[in-house]
Amino acid sequence: MITFGSAHVSIAGILAALVIAGGVGSTLYWMLHPPQSYVQQIAKKAESELAQMVGSLIVAFSPEIDSSHMVALAVKLARGEKSELLALYVIEVPYTLPPDAAMPAEERIALDALGAAETIAGKNNVAIRTETIKARSTKQAVLDVAKREKANLIMLGSFREGKYSGAPLSRIIEEISADAKCDVLIGVEGKHGTLLLTEESLQSAAQTA
Amino acid sequence: MQKKTRANPELRRSVTPWGSFSWGYSDVGADIFVGLGLVLAAAAGASNVAFLFAGVVYVCIGLAYTELAATYPVAGGGQYFVMRGLGDIFGFIAGWAVLLDFTIDVTLFAWTSVDYSSQLLPSLTNSVHPWVHFVAVFALVAGLCLLNVIGVRESTAFNGVVSALDVLSESLILCLGFLFAFKPALLIHAMQFNWPSPYQLMLGTSLAIISFVGLESISQAAQETQRPASVIPRTSVSLILTILIFALAYSNLALGLQPWHPITDASGHHLAFWQIFTNNSDNQGKAVALLAAQVPYYGALAALYVPVLGAILLLISSNSGVFGSSRIAYAMSSSNLLPALFQGVHRRFRTPAVSIIFFSSIAVIELIFAAIPGLFPAAASFYSRFFRGENGLDFLADLYAFGAATSYSFVFLGLIGLRLTDPLSPRKFKIPLNVGMRFRGERVEFPIVAVIGFIGIFSILLFTLRTHVLGRIFGPSWLLLGLLFYLAYRRYRRLPVLQSVQRDWRNDQTEILRRSGELELMDEYLANLKASDRRRATEGSGV
Repeated sequence: MITFGSAHVSIAGILAALVIAGGVGSTLYWMLHPPQSYVQQIAKKAESELAQMVGSLIVAFSPEIDSSHMVALAVKLARGEKSELLALYVIEVPYTLPPDAAMPAEERIALDALGAAETIAGKNNVAIRTETIKARSTKQAVLDVAKREKANLIMLGSFREGKYSGAPLSRIIEEISADAKCDVLIGVEGKHGTLLLTEESLQSAAQTA
Repeated sequence: MQKKTRANPELRRSVTPWGSFSWGYSDVGADIFVGLGLVLAAAAGASNVAFLFAGVVYVCIGLAYTELAATYPVAGGGQYFVMRGLGDIFGFIAGWAVLLDFTIDVTLFAWTSVDYSSQLLPSLTNSVHPWVHFVAVFALVAGLCLLNVIGVRESTAFNGVVSALDVLSESLILCLGFLFAFKPALLIHAMQFNWPSPYQLMLGTSLAIISFVGLESISQAAQETQRPASVIPRTSVSLILTILIFALAYSNLALGLQPWHPITDASGHHLAFWQIFTNNSDNQGKAVALLAAQVPYYGALAALYVPVLGAILLLISSNSGVFGSSRIAYAMSSSNLLPALFQGVHRRFRTPAVSIIFFSSIAVIELIFAAIPGLFPAAASFYSRFFRGENGLDFLADLYAFGAATSYSFVFLGLIGLRLTDPLSPRKFKIPLNVGMRFRGERVEFPIVAVIGFIGIFSILLFTLRTHVLGRIFGPSWLLLGLLFYLAYRRYRRLPVLQSVQRDWRNDQTEILRRSGELELMDEYLANLKASDRRRATEGSGV
C-alpha cells in the first residue's frame, strides 16, 4: 500500500482497475464488431465496386446530347462517393469551317448548360470542373477526354423530341457507348416522365447561373 | 380523385448494435444508481455477496433473454415468450408482472432522479422538504406521460450518447476509485465485523436484484434491431457483463473505500463510507454520486457532474417505463390478453394514449402510497405499526423486486417450455449446459442453466415475500386483481379462459424471421419443418 496525499494505492486496487477497464473495453469492442451476414457481404462488395466505378465522372453535353437532367444525379453520386466531376460540352465544328472557328450561338448555349451544372454542384457543395471543347467528332472528343481524365463513368442524357417516335438515343450516344473503355450511364426520359429534373427547375437553374 | 393507399407500416429496423445496447443500458444501467444505497443499507458487510448472488441469477436471466430475443425477435418481450411457451394465462401473468415493474419503474426512477438532483439542489431533499420532493416527482411523471402522449420520445441517438457518457463515467469512477481510494483491509474488516443477519442478507439479496432489472428493453427493441439474431446476443451479453462488472465493483469499492474527506456521525465518530446509508433514505437515493465524490481529486469534478448524469439516466429509465408499459399493454392486447382498449391510438398524435395515461395513473397512485408517510406524520405511525415503517424508496423497491422476480421466474419456465415445444426454431444463441433428450418425437435440448436460474430467481422471490412487508401484500394483490380481470375479460369475449387461443406458430415464426431480415435462419427453419413433417409422415405410415 502506497499513500500519497489523500490517495491510497494498493496492488489489489490496481488489479481491480485493470480488470474493470479491460473487461468493459474488450466487451464493448466485441459487441460492436459482429460478423457480417451473407447479405451484408454482398452489399459491401457492391458498395466497394461502386466506389471504384464512380471515382471520376464525366457528364457530357453537346447539341445532340442533352445531359442537363443527369447533372443532378451526377452531383449526388459525386457527393456520396467523393468523386471527381467534370462537365464537358462538345461543340462539333463542321468540316466546312476551320477547327477553331468562332461559333458564338453554340458557345452561348454551352455557357448556359455548364453554368447550370456549376449551380447544381455548388448547391450540393460538390467541386466540379467545366470544359468546352471544339471538335470535328463529338464521339471522339468525349472518348479522348475520358481517356485523359481516366474516367470511370461517362454520363449522357438524351431527350425525346416532340414527334420523335423511334429509339430515343442519338447516333452519337450509341457510338460513345459502343467504343468507351469505361462504363456509360445513359438517362432516357419516359414518354411522360421528367427524368430527375423538371423543366421549371432546369430553367430556374439556368437563370440563376 | 385517386386516393393513395399505403400498406401497414412495419417498425423500421434502424437500431444498431450500440443502439440496442443503449436501449438496455439506459434501463438496466440506471438500476445501480438506485440499488447500491439500498443494498448497502440492508446487507452491510455482505453487500458484495448479495450482489454476487443476484448477479449469478442475473447472468442466467440475461442468457435466457438473449436466447429468446434472438430466436423470437418480436416487440412483446417476456410476456410473448411465456405466452408462446406456456400458454395464454401464464403469458398474461408474466406480462402483468412486467407491467407492475414498468409502472414502478416510472415512479422509482423519477423519485431517485429527484434524489440525485437534490445533491446539487438541496431544496429537493425528501426528508427536509417532502412536499417539494413529491411535487417534483409528480411533475416528472406527469410530464413524461404528456410527452409520450403527444409522441415526443427520447431518440435512440440521445440514449446512445447518454449511455456512452455514463459507461465512460462509471468506468472512470471505478478505476480511479480502486486506484486511489481502495483499501483491501477496510473491505475485509467490513465483511468480518459487519456481516448481516440471515434476514438482512435475504433482504439485501432481494434488493440487489433490482440492480439488474430491464433486460426486457433489449428484447422489446428486437423488432427494430438490425439483424437481431446476430446482434442481440452480442448486445445482451455485453450488457450483462458490463452491468455485472459495475455492480460487483461498486459494492466492493463501497465496502473498501477510504473516503477522501473524513465522514463522522453526530457524535463525531468516524464512519466507514458504507455506513452513511444505514437508516438514511436521502443518501440511499443518491449512492453513486456520494461514492464518486469520495474518490480523491477526481471526486471534486465528479461531485458536480455525476448527480446530473445520474438524474438524466434515471429520467430516461423512468421514461422507458412509460412507453415500455404501453408497448407491453399493446402487445398483450393484440394477443387477446387485454381488452382492445389498450390498442387505442390517439387520433391526432397517433400514440397509444389510453395505455400511457392508464399506466401513468397507476404510477401516480404508487407514488402517493410511497410518499404519504413523509407528507403526513399521522400516516407514518400507521406505516410503522403495520409495515415496519417501510415507506418511500422501500415501498417502490419492494414492488420492483417482486415484479422482476415473478416475471423472470416465468421467463425461465417459458424458455424450458419453448425448448420442448418448439425445437425446430433455429437458435443462433443457446444458453450453455444442455441435456439432449426426445420429447413428442422430436430431439430437444433441456436447458440446465434455466433450471438453475429458476431456482435462483424463485428463491429471490421467496426472499422478497419473506422480507418485504409491503411487497408481499401489494405484489400478490396486483397479480390477483389482474388475474380476476383477465378471467372476466376472456369470459366476456367468449375466449378460452384457462386454455389458449389457437395460433399458427409456424407461419408466425416464418414471418418473424422474414421481417427481421434473418433470411438464412428462415431457410433453416423451413428446412427443419419440412424434415420434421417428412419424418412424422414416414413414422406414421410405418415405413
